Amino acid sequence: MAFIEAHSISRKVETATGELQILSNVDLSINRAETLAIVGASGSGKSTLLSLLAGLDLPSTGYVAIDNVNLSDLDEESRAILRGDKVGFIFQSFLLVQSLTALENVMLPAELAGVRNPEDHAKELLKKVGLAERVTHFPNQLSGGEQQRVAIARAFIGKPEILFADEPTGNLDRATGEKVEDLLFELNREFGTTLVVVTHDERLAERCHRIIRIEQGTVVNQNKEAEV
Amino acid sequence: MRVANWLKISFRLLRHELKRGELTIMAIAIAFSVASVLSLSVFSERLQAGILAQSSEFLAADRVLRSRQEIPIRWIEQAREQGLQSARRTTFNSMVFASNELALADIKAVSEEYPLRGTLEIAEQPFAQGNATESLPVPGEAWVHSGLFQQLPIELGDSIEVGNTSFVVTKVLIKEPDSGFSVFADAPTVLIPYSDLAATGLIQPGSRVSFNYLFAGEPEDIDTYEQWIIPQLDDLTQSWRGIRDGDSPLASALNRAERFMLLASLLGVVLAATAVAVAAQRYCQRNYDAVAIMKTLGGNNGFVRSIFVTHLLLLSLFSIFIGSVLGYFIQLGVGHWVAKQLAYSLPAASWKPWGLAISTGLLSALLFSLYPLLRLLSIPPLRVLRRELDGDNVKRVIHWFACGGGILLLMVLYSRNLTLSLALFAGGAFAAMVLLLIGRLLIRLSRQAGMQAGSSWRLAMAGMQRRAKENSLQMLSFATAIMLLLLVLALRTELLDDWQNQLPENAPNFFVVNVAPEQVSDMQTMFTAENIQATDLYPITPGRLVSINGQLVRDEVSKEDRDNSDVREGFGRELQLTWRSTLPPENNLISGRWFEGEELGVSVESEVAERLALKLGDILEFRVGGAEFEVPVLSIREVDWNTMQPNFYMIFNENTISQNSATYIASFYLPSERKAELYDLFKSFPQASLIDVDDIIQQIRGVIGHVSMAITFVMVLVMFAGGLVLLAQVQASLEEREQEIVILRTLGARSKLLTQAVSYEFIILGALAGFIAAVAMEASIYILQTQVFEMAPTIHWRFWLLGPVVGASVVTLLGWFSCRSLLRQRTGTLIRALA
Repeated sequence: MAFIEAHSISRKVETATGELQILSNVDLSINRAETLAIVGASGSGKSTLLSLLAGLDLPSTGYVAIDNVNLSDLDEESRAILRGDKVGFIFQSFLLVQSLTALENVMLPAELAGVRNPEDHAKELLKKVGLAERVTHFPNQLSGGEQQRVAIARAFIGKPEILFADEPTGNLDRATGEKVEDLLFELNREFGTTLVVVTHDERLAERCHRIIRIEQGTVVNQNKEAEV
Repeated sequence: MRVANWLKISFRLLRHELKRGELTIMAIAIAFSVASVLSLSVFSERLQAGILAQSSEFLAADRVLRSRQEIPIRWIEQAREQGLQSARRTTFNSMVFASNELALADIKAVSEEYPLRGTLEIAEQPFAQGNATESLPVPGEAWVHSGLFQQLPIELGDSIEVGNTSFVVTKVLIKEPDSGFSVFADAPTVLIPYSDLAATGLIQPGSRVSFNYLFAGEPEDIDTYEQWIIPQLDDLTQSWRGIRDGDSPLASALNRAERFMLLASLLGVVLAATAVAVAAQRYCQRNYDAVAIMKTLGGNNGFVRSIFVTHLLLLSLFSIFIGSVLGYFIQLGVGHWVAKQLAYSLPAASWKPWGLAISTGLLSALLFSLYPLLRLLSIPPLRVLRRELDGDNVKRVIHWFACGGGILLLMVLYSRNLTLSLALFAGGAFAAMVLLLIGRLLIRLSRQAGMQAGSSWRLAMAGMQRRAKENSLQMLSFATAIMLLLLVLALRTELLDDWQNQLPENAPNFFVVNVAPEQVSDMQTMFTAENIQATDLYPITPGRLVSINGQLVRDEVSKEDRDNSDVREGFGRELQLTWRSTLPPENNLISGRWFEGEELGVSVESEVAERLALKLGDILEFRVGGAEFEVPVLSIREVDWNTMQPNFYMIFNENTISQNSATYIASFYLPSERKAELYDLFKSFPQASLIDVDDIIQQIRGVIGHVSMAITFVMVLVMFAGGLVLLAQVQASLEEREQEIVILRTLGARSKLLTQAVSYEFIILGALAGFIAAVAMEASIYILQTQVFEMAPTIHWRFWLLGPVVGASVVTLLGWFSCRSLLRQRTGTLIRALA
């Protein structure tokens, strides 16, 4: 049984000009520890698919299950708890809380999950991503690459079983982007985390076990079948 | 365990945000609302207590019960049980004899406790500078006014006879705290001990005696006693009086000042609350991302709600604490300054202002944050991917209800006057809607005008039009703040000018009465020769109003008279009548015409005309010197009773009653350094009596001095509150401006163009808001002048210019100050900040 199962999911939204179909009948299975890249042009539905797989949004039809739990059966509160337990996130715009330091940002998911004194673990992770000296810095005192490394450390503090990354290198220059990619895959291997990456970057996609391509809301191609 | 975590996160967010200045405006707004309410309430409570204590000296007590007969002893015992002090003062007119000569005097018999407020001043020579004393004449002694030394051949140590008893005159009585304002009835005072009163044998059944019972004590004890005694009084023969009662200039100054303080303070509180509302909106918007991130990372609704409600609560408590400390020191500083300026220390305030200030802070923070907070907590986690999502459309009615209800609640809490609060609130809400519509219309018109202009202007106009909805709301709050500032400024000027005009530096400080007709010309000559500014000498003759249009009026007020429906409302007493060929100064004809030639007629004072329902052409019958005659009402006059000059209810044409015997009255100004000359100046007019009103004037000036300072203080606070609203509003619009600046900079716009465009947008917004504010201020001040302050309405043209200029300058300055870091930053930095 796949770790993440998307069954015939579609997503429609209401707009001023009528109903808009963003995603149509997508079926997808992702195994534990697999790395998957979702590629496609802007507006093709990549990020919508990611939001549905992560339980940030619910499909209009079909369902998504993580570890055999149908997300549509859960309310907003339960989905938040499930995300806190099993899911980590990395975003193109880093999305760090601007009022918290690097260390406090990394500690945040653990504290939200009720973990006591996560400080040591957070410091360890920051050291792992090369930011041991920057723990007291606020996001606006860090470069883009550094902010993304904080976001990676934050994503791994809860030892997530699955990590969703939305254009993780999209805001970074090539050299910094490569460093961040290396770090992401290194941690992925170390923690055995399932990784789902939305990207435009073909080179990043190539590093994943499998690539799916989306056009106009439907999966048009899947290659590099799972080698896990 | 999770409780500790959300508390920790809340505290951490607060600590960092305060340190980084992200919550500065919100914290300042809450702290300011607390500080201003606290300092205003403490200060006004202390000032009011100070003014009342000082003013009570005019009564020699806090309250006086006047009665035509002795009151039951139980009433005095009840006052003592209530913790009040009491004293007796019995007054009547009687002839006083010395060396076979006689003079009419005002006999004042006082008990040992007199005066309960204020002090007596005595001297060793008539008309000399008095010295305060705590003592009273002992049995067998009398202290007499300077005037009696003119009328009788006496010196200190001589005896005078009052009724069956003789008294040794031991001191000259210079000042009594309760000498009053009435000039016509004034004969020189003879102060004797109450214990000697019976021996005079002058109190007989039917004597015209005024029994006065003086009370003083803590305000709450006075209030309790007042509630107990008033229902038991006989309206016809007894009256209960405080300093606010009556037509004295002091009562009117006090009431007007209190109304102004209340109004201005209310406006200050509303402004501070508006600043909190604007800042709360911005606070919540800034936290949209944080909420989305926390929800994405596993924070459930309850947890996130706990974090932000606690965060807001911590911020409020911190700001309330800062505001309380600040408010305490402000009022302390102002209190010291006032005490130094007036050489008078203000009494301490109660705990009530603290409760009011803290509830204001909590109400402002919580009620005005309710809607933004609900919206914040509804932010979906999906915002991390779709940045345009900004929460459920929580019903706006909650916002209006919370903000409107909050403001109304604050007004009621502050003024303790539901009617005034509702009226102001309803008027304000209506004005806000009108201003909003005018604002949108002006923005639309300015866009059309701007299309003809250069690129920076065009850019500014385009910006305004694009944000028309936000800008019209912003303009509404700018206009409200500027309007309130102009209003307080204009009212302050009006009130102070009005008072200053009533009591100019050389306002008459003496009245001379009982001037014989044959001495009028000599006295006028003396005034001119001695360079003394005096009013005309007015003849006065006593008379009574008998009937109106043939219908008898009540004369002596008696129960039988009152129940008789055939008689009209009358004066119930003797009147002082005068005649004159020209309209006296400070009198305005409001209807009819002044006398022409020798026609018979009378001119009636407007309030009397209203009370007696008189109109032009009514025929009034008077009895003067045993003869009765009828005259038509030819005019109705408005009289300014606050001026220190002889004023009259009825003025006749010269030939109407001039055949009657009369004495003359005038008022004049004599500088204090010339007071020593009085005795010599009036030695040759032995019949005339002098009444010194300098002390009254000085005391009124003292009260006006207190109040002027308070008004200035309130104005400074209101201006600060207005500035805070403007700043909060400008800050709230910064993020959107940031995005525009990034786009324009990326497209190659130069710094100069951007600076000009931003400045021009603020100039237009500020000037339009200032113009609207001036119009709204003029309408509001008209209502306030005519309905609240009983002043003549005036137009304030200079504010029509001042409004737009102040609006444009302040808004541009604040806008430029807030945007300057954005305009200086490099495009790359800005893009990263926005990413």
